[in-house]
Amino acid sequence: MSLIEIKGAAKGFGLPGSRTEVLKNINLSINEGEFVVIVGYSGSGKSTLINLISGLVKPDAGVATIAGETITGPGPDRGLVFQNYSLLPWLTVEENIALAVDEVFKDWTAAQRKEHVQKYIDMVKLKPAAHKLPKELSGGMRQRVAVARTLSMNPKVLLLDEPLSALDALTRATIQDEISEIWRQNLTTVLWITNDPDEALLLAARVTPLLPTAPATLGEPIVVDLDRPRDRKSLNHDPKFKKLRAQLINTLLDAKGRMKPKTSVKLTLPDILPEDLTYVNSLQFLNRSGPRRRSDSKREEVEVAV
Amino acid sequence: MHLIQRFKLESILLPLSAILVCVLLWYLIAGKSVITEKIDDFGDKIKVTKRAGLSADLPTPVETWTASKLYIAEPFAKRGELDQGILRFTWMSLVLVVQGYFIALVIGTPIGFFLGLSKKFTIAFDPIIQVLRPVSPLAWLPLGMILFSGVKIANGDGRTVFGASDAAALFTIAICAMWPTVMNTAVGVRAVPQDYLNVAKVLKLSKSKTLWKVLVPATLPYMFTGFRLSLGIAWLVIVAVEMLTGRPGIGGFLWQQYNANSYAHIILCILTIGVVGYVLDRLMSVVESRFKTA
Repeated sequence: MSLIEIKGAAKGFGLPGSRTEVLKNINLSINEGEFVVIVGYSGSGKSTLINLISGLVKPDAGVATIAGETITGPGPDRGLVFQNYSLLPWLTVEENIALAVDEVFKDWTAAQRKEHVQKYIDMVKLKPAAHKLPKELSGGMRQRVAVARTLSMNPKVLLLDEPLSALDALTRATIQDEISEIWRQNLTTVLWITNDPDEALLLAARVTPLLPTAPATLGEPIVVDLDRPRDRKSLNHDPKFKKLRAQLINTLLDAKGRMKPKTSVKLTLPDILPEDLTYVNSLQFLNRSGPRRRSDSKREEVEVAV
Repeated sequence: MHLIQRFKLESILLPLSAILVCVLLWYLIAGKSVITEKIDDFGDKIKVTKRAGLSADLPTPVETWTASKLYIAEPFAKRGELDQGILRFTWMSLVLVVQGYFIALVIGTPIGFFLGLSKKFTIAFDPIIQVLRPVSPLAWLPLGMILFSGVKIANGDGRTVFGASDAAALFTIAICAMWPTVMNTAVGVRAVPQDYLNVAKVLKLSKSKTLWKVLVPATLPYMFTGFRLSLGIAWLVIVAVEMLTGRPGIGGFLWQQYNANSYAHIILCILTIGVVGYVLDRLMSVVESRFKTA
């Protein structure tokens, strides 16, 4: 049974007149325990899509449901990991996680909650940094704290909005492996959003491309049936991986290619006409009434596709 | 190493030479006492003291120093109700400033939060605030006198310890010093990054927890900038208030010395007020920078 369902969702921003439609006709269903990755271009509405599920954004049309119930607002059953970590800078690692734990597990004793916090600090291997402030941590460590904070709420689904895009490639690889490992152990449902096709294929059980049409729509999902654990070194030579990668990238590129330039700009040419310099030394040139202006005769514009 | 030395030397020498230039200018402007001996109509020798200079009544730096020495050398002495050491007067003023300042913060911070949080509240109250904000302390004081004319707290001997003028002074300091706190808090609340608010939403934090765990810490740097500016204004206001009410204090002393034609003490007061204001500002900016981390 699918845990999360989005049916016919659409979303746009702005007031009537200057409105931009971001998402159109979004249909997505995620099964319990599934690892789904959505890949798309930057700025194509990926964050809006994940926020439909997190509840930070309400769809204009269609519905988003979790376990059969319509999503009306944010809640701790959907753990959202933000792109920029969003740790509170005045709280230590432990306090940041405790903030979530104390809120979600109000009926636990203080000792139980403390133990729970410690468990997740250990899970992301941050025990030595437990009492440090976020600014004292590296980018990778911060994102691990953000993941720990989200996981500690025991969410039904883990939503990750481009979680690793601010990290360097090597750190990114480490954390990809770590989160992949955490998923294999806990089998939480994961919806991961990224702009990196390789990352998508490395992690996902199913990859859905978000096509950059305007407004964006979801493409055909690609099932990634590669064995786990996936080793990034051998994957590069795996023919199956190469085929899937080509399929995914082609889908995205084709959709981008089909996007004909729709806007055009009218350019006004310089308001001066060329002169015939062969007459420079003749009396005729001296007698002319100054340079000729284009605006004197008629306005000329060219249309340029952007 | 060389650079540090040069920097230190410059940072001492340059201000010193600027001070020197100002003192020289002061000498040029100030008049000085010229004592001449002459023989009066009865044939006796008398000494005539005349002041001469660009501004005949302005004492020279040396005269100022001689006249002020006693007040600085014994800063806490009490020779009479109107004749006390300079720091004793300063202390009286500071006590009043701290009280008024405290009231300003207690009232100003919540108003700032309301302004920052609610658009409707802002639209409703912004015109009133913008109109009241530039009103001078001199204008508020009489209103305070009227408002608190009935206030009178007496001690055992029947002596008034807190009267209408004290209440009016506090009122004036509070209402004048409040605005920077109000405005900065409001700006700070509006500037809380949406990310932090999203965290609060996703974690489903309660209203009060969102306020204390997210909004207040995120606003603290702005609030402290406001607090610092407010303290500066409170210190400005105290002088005006003391002049008008005649309360003993640094401003009261200044006014009383003016009336007593003791002009050197006016300069002493001005310098003391300046130094104290500077020290307060430094202290606050140390506190402020402690909260800059967020």
